[in-house]
Amino acid sequence: MTDDRYAPGARVRTVHHDPPHHTRLPRYARGKRGTVIEPEGRAPLADVRAQGRDDWPVEQVYAVRFAARDLWGEGEHHVVLDLFESYLEDDQP
Amino acid sequence: MARMNDVGGMQGFGPVDTTDDTAPFHADWEARVFALNGALIAQKVYNLDEFRDAVESMPPAEYLAASYYERWFFAIRTLLERKGVVAAGELDD
Repeated sequence: MTDDRYAPGARVRTVHHDPPHHTRLPRYARGKRGTVIEPEGRAPLADVRAQGRDDWPVEQVYAVRFAARDLWGEGEHHVVLDLFESYLEDDQP
Repeated sequence: MARMNDVGGMQGFGPVDTTDDTAPFHADWEARVFALNGALIAQKVYNLDEFRDAVESMPPAEYLAASYYERWFFAIRTLLERKGVVAAGELDD
């Protein structure tokens, strides 16, 4: 049982923001399609805590797999990133 | 906002330096910077995400020219001035 927004195997798309502060979503992985592998545990949202605020939310972090081809247009391997829940959106087909 | 640290997947930086160098520090001042940062975070002067944000806020040309711990010292100085712990310029020289 879980209250997580995404289950293993869920198809997601990363947001395409470019915040003026620290974020854990690398530029090469913005606006990209991936697949959730599994939840990794909950952690304070770094983007908010980096601003010196004390009202940071605690979010689930997911291991998300991306095809290298989807990130860079080439490559046969996959890349797995640990991403906060608010970086992810449902990937509507 | 483009930040100079976020270069994952970017080409043009030459080959990755794979020199087998496991020494944690190459000068005493580097060890002091390392210890100072840990102490300031432990004392809650700032948090780890604020520190990362400050490192990433370094002007790109300075960032590329700086060593790892020179970037750390830039961030420490930036945050101590922002928090009012030291006056602007107090840590110069």
